[in-house]
Amino acid sequence: MGSRYLIRKVVGACLTIFMIVILNFVLFRMMPGSPDRILLRNPNVTADAMAAARIRWGLDKPLIPDQLVDYLESTASGDLGFSFKFHGEPVTDVLAGRIWPTVILFGLGEVLAIIFGLALGAYSGWRRGGPIDYIGNGVSLILYSMPYFVIGILILGVFAIGLHWFPTSGMLTVGGSGDDSFPSQLLDFLGHLALPVTTVAIGLIGQYSILMRSSVIETLGEDYITTARGKGLTSGRILRSHALPNALLPAVTLIAINLGYVIGGAITVEVVFNWPGLGTLTVTALEARDYPVLQGIFLLLSISVVVANLIADLIYGRLDPRVRS
Amino acid sequence: MTTGAIPEPSVRNERLRLRIKSIRSFTRRFASRPDGVIGVVVLLIFVSLAIAPDLFVGPLQTATTATGPSLSPPTAANLLGTDELGRDILNLTVHGTRISMVIGFLATIVTILLGALVGIVAGYAGGRIDTFLMRVTDFFLVLPTFVLALILAPIILDLVGADSEFFGIRVTLLVIVVVIGVTSWASTARIIRSQALSVKELAFVGRARVIGSGPGHIMWRHILPNVMNLIVANTVLVFGGSILTETTLSFIGLGDPFAPSWGQVLNAAESAGAMGLGAWWYVVPPSICIVLVVLSFTLVGSALDDVLNPRLRVRR
Repeated sequence: MGSRYLIRKVVGACLTIFMIVILNFVLFRMMPGSPDRILLRNPNVTADAMAAARIRWGLDKPLIPDQLVDYLESTASGDLGFSFKFHGEPVTDVLAGRIWPTVILFGLGEVLAIIFGLALGAYSGWRRGGPIDYIGNGVSLILYSMPYFVIGILILGVFAIGLHWFPTSGMLTVGGSGDDSFPSQLLDFLGHLALPVTTVAIGLIGQYSILMRSSVIETLGEDYITTARGKGLTSGRILRSHALPNALLPAVTLIAINLGYVIGGAITVEVVFNWPGLGTLTVTALEARDYPVLQGIFLLLSISVVVANLIADLIYGRLDPRVRS
Repeated sequence: MTTGAIPEPSVRNERLRLRIKSIRSFTRRFASRPDGVIGVVVLLIFVSLAIAPDLFVGPLQTATTATGPSLSPPTAANLLGTDELGRDILNLTVHGTRISMVIGFLATIVTILLGALVGIVAGYAGGRIDTFLMRVTDFFLVLPTFVLALILAPIILDLVGADSEFFGIRVTLLVIVVVIGVTSWASTARIIRSQALSVKELAFVGRARVIGSGPGHIMWRHILPNVMNLIVANTVLVFGGSILTETTLSFIGLGDPFAPSWGQVLNAAESAGAMGLGAWWYVVPPSICIVLVVLSFTLVGSALDDVLNPRLRVRR
């Protein structure tokens, strides 16, 4: 891969991350309840004490550049401030405990959705107008119109509350499942994981299959497909070695680009199943107006999305030489 | 009338004739899309519910005016059951239509205005302005905008106070409108820009510039009418998306309990533990409404896109 393409993409991503951090700084200054505003509510605070507090927090310095530089320095060193809600714990610690549940839930959900969504989309596009296409397209459109949490509520109602097949909430049975051995713990975890993962996957399958379907249809109209047909290749061969690889590229890129959009809606799934990840943390922080934690979540999620986009760009550039120029 | 200037009335008649002709051909082409027509019918039903909810189910029930028992399953008196406060779910769902639709509509207007403005200016101006605007647009495209909305909404709410009113609309709802608009204009801007880029190169734009039209005039009188088809199709799609976003924001707890949209009803159901108590009637009606409305917008939007987007038409 050309190193110029690589450098251009990496620099672009770094710029975006820098803009996100700046946006975060602006939001911090906009938000109500900044330290001196809270002090002002106390009538006994003298002007001297106010001034001393402002100096201690660095609020006496000009916003730009001093406060901005301080902010950038502490953000770069991983200091995101302290949570209001969680007894003044550092935001980084609050976030750290919640990352893995979310990564497992969405990682698995995404993988399932990509496999099934792309397969369904590819088949629908290939047999365009057939019964699978007809049904698959209809179901995809309906799923696409459902907020994730609605899918979650319905699945929860049927499989956990109606049929009692799965636990209704949490990540592990509270107080242990009676058996502390690793296999039974794992089973307990997987039982709790099943419904939320299914919800995330179902929520995404609709979008991915629609994407893949149109990508396959577009690819099938290309000249090299006609050429392949003219050479007398079997239709299975054309699909496998000519149409699919070329249709897959734009579909996968679009999936990466949509990641930022998807992540927001999908965190509501955690709320429905009380999954102890970043989504439930967001709602808790929102109710308590815990701004430092909210900002930390925003920073974490947006940087992850930028990085995911960068990786997709680089893979795409590696696979398709045309985009590099 | 063979020589000299064409009299004004004849120009006007010709224009009218062309317009009627294009409307006719549009209607014919749209009518050939059954999915789009079904979507329009469903939307008309919901719009009439939204215009006059009192006509169908009486005034909105509140905790004080609720008459039913708590969490009663569907009965003859409460066709869709009641919530934990004894409010009729049918009543809440029909009134929710109005609130969801109004917020969705206003948010769509903000989104489209921002997107069209940025798209047309970037496409027509080109050069540095275009580069700058597209950088900002790409930034908003990459950003997890929903998470940004989650932070922006409470900040604005705390700044202006949740209980104030503005032109008779509660501020909580307006904040949701603004937040949806500010975070979702980017893809509209991209679509409009690409069309504006190609319209800009057409001969009549060059002629307008030669006779001394300013950039503002050209963008308003020449570019805008020619990207209008895209704006219309995109508006319908954005409308569905706005309702979806509003629903999610309300579900998360940023809605207004005094003006319950569908998402707000679902939020109440979630905090009352309705599903755990087996109160499916609390959850199912608003969910079905959300899916029906968003699906209809998607169907109408993609039908319009096929009919109005000249590029797609040629390909078929």
